[in-house]
Amino acid sequence: MAYDLFLGCVIPARLPFLETSSRKVFEKLGIKLNDVDGFSCCPDPTGIELIDHKAWLALGARNLSLCNTNGGVLSFCSGCVETLKGVNYAINKDSRVKEEVNNVLKKVGKSYDGKVGVKHFAELLYEYIDKVKAYVDKPLDGFKVAVHYGCHYLRPSEVINWDDPFEPKTVDEIIRALGAESVDYEMKMECCGNPVEKSDKELSLLMIDQKLKAIQESGANCVVVVCPACYQQYEFNQRELNKQNESNYDFPIFYLSELVALAFGFKPEELGFNFHRIRPTKLFESIKFSP
Amino acid sequence: MSVINFKFRNEVLRHNASLSYCYQCSTCSGGCPVALITKGKYNPRKIIEEAILGLQNKLVEDQEPNSWLCSTCQKCVELCPQKVELTEIFILIKNLCFESGKVPDAFIAQGQAVLENGVAIPYSKAILTRRDKLGLPTIKTAPVDEIKQILVETKFEKHIPKGLE
Repeated sequence: MAYDLFLGCVIPARLPFLETSSRKVFEKLGIKLNDVDGFSCCPDPTGIELIDHKAWLALGARNLSLCNTNGGVLSFCSGCVETLKGVNYAINKDSRVKEEVNNVLKKVGKSYDGKVGVKHFAELLYEYIDKVKAYVDKPLDGFKVAVHYGCHYLRPSEVINWDDPFEPKTVDEIIRALGAESVDYEMKMECCGNPVEKSDKELSLLMIDQKLKAIQESGANCVVVVCPACYQQYEFNQRELNKQNESNYDFPIFYLSELVALAFGFKPEELGFNFHRIRPTKLFESIKFSP
Repeated sequence: MSVINFKFRNEVLRHNASLSYCYQCSTCSGGCPVALITKGKYNPRKIIEEAILGLQNKLVEDQEPNSWLCSTCQKCVELCPQKVELTEIFILIKNLCFESGKVPDAFIAQGQAVLENGVAIPYSKAILTRRDKLGLPTIKTAPVDEIKQILVETKFEKHIPKGLE
């Protein structure tokens, strides 16, 4: 099966090392990802959609109109997935919306029928979980992982139509398949706070502080995420919080694809781990994990 | 002072009829992470109440409660026993704030970036070098003119100020 790859903005233009591990994992699994020229911003369901729903619909539908591979479109980003699934949902639910969107697209010589399938990369990994398990070369013994699902990977469930919106299991099962332990923690299903950063930075910091505190109490030694906004929220703010509050957060933040790649035997150097602000080196030493 | 604006109320209802299902049980506020952290200062139930009453000045001008504080986590939507599409309604309110220029700067900055580049984060030289080092391909993003044409057509461009003060 092949998929059109929708990269979005944050991963390729700010955190490209997350793209590296993701590409390597799917190549290893024998899943072909086609690069497509001409995509715009998805657009951001926590940004552009909030200021102009119509523009969000039109740009999202234009992006989908460029896809024509049998598997549909795959994205490494929960925000992009929510937008693209949301646009499909809106278009297929109401024929007037479909007509309005197509009237706009017609001006640029495009049209969209609402039929391109959309998948999150973790969704695809879960479908291949047996193969993932079979390819584990370096089991992640000693990794006590706090799984952060994030919001847009799950909700609204009617649109995302995937894992349970409050008791999800897919990412936990994938990391267990890698030999890691999933550690339960108090605030597991809460939002990381990234989307409110644009309106209130202080509030957004309070939200991530609450989560990090709960993760610390749980005894986890790292965090796994499936969304680049969550990634930035966790990775960029630990030091800032330590300065403000005398906390001592020092959790390496992994993208799910990075943990899979490590378990498949890829080396930190080829995965660009040097671009992490909080390097996992100390963790690897403390749990005697030699990648 | 609160002024009832029927036109505003009908506008919200026309876009999302689920507003009228709300019986103000407050399940939304009970599950809201922002309501919890702001000790109820941000209150989704209150926003819905004001929308039902058509209090445009409260929601758009005063922004009390402030719809921009919604984290779009969609918990309230899942929890609502009446299937009120709260996040969608908040988005509509924020869209109306945008049309009146009552929007936090960071949203305008993102809008300007998409309008000028087609993407929210254009590829910098440093990132292109980094991508190259990581063995990643060069991918062409959308033609800027085409994106601009769509954004003019949807009236998005009209509401984006040219510069930030």
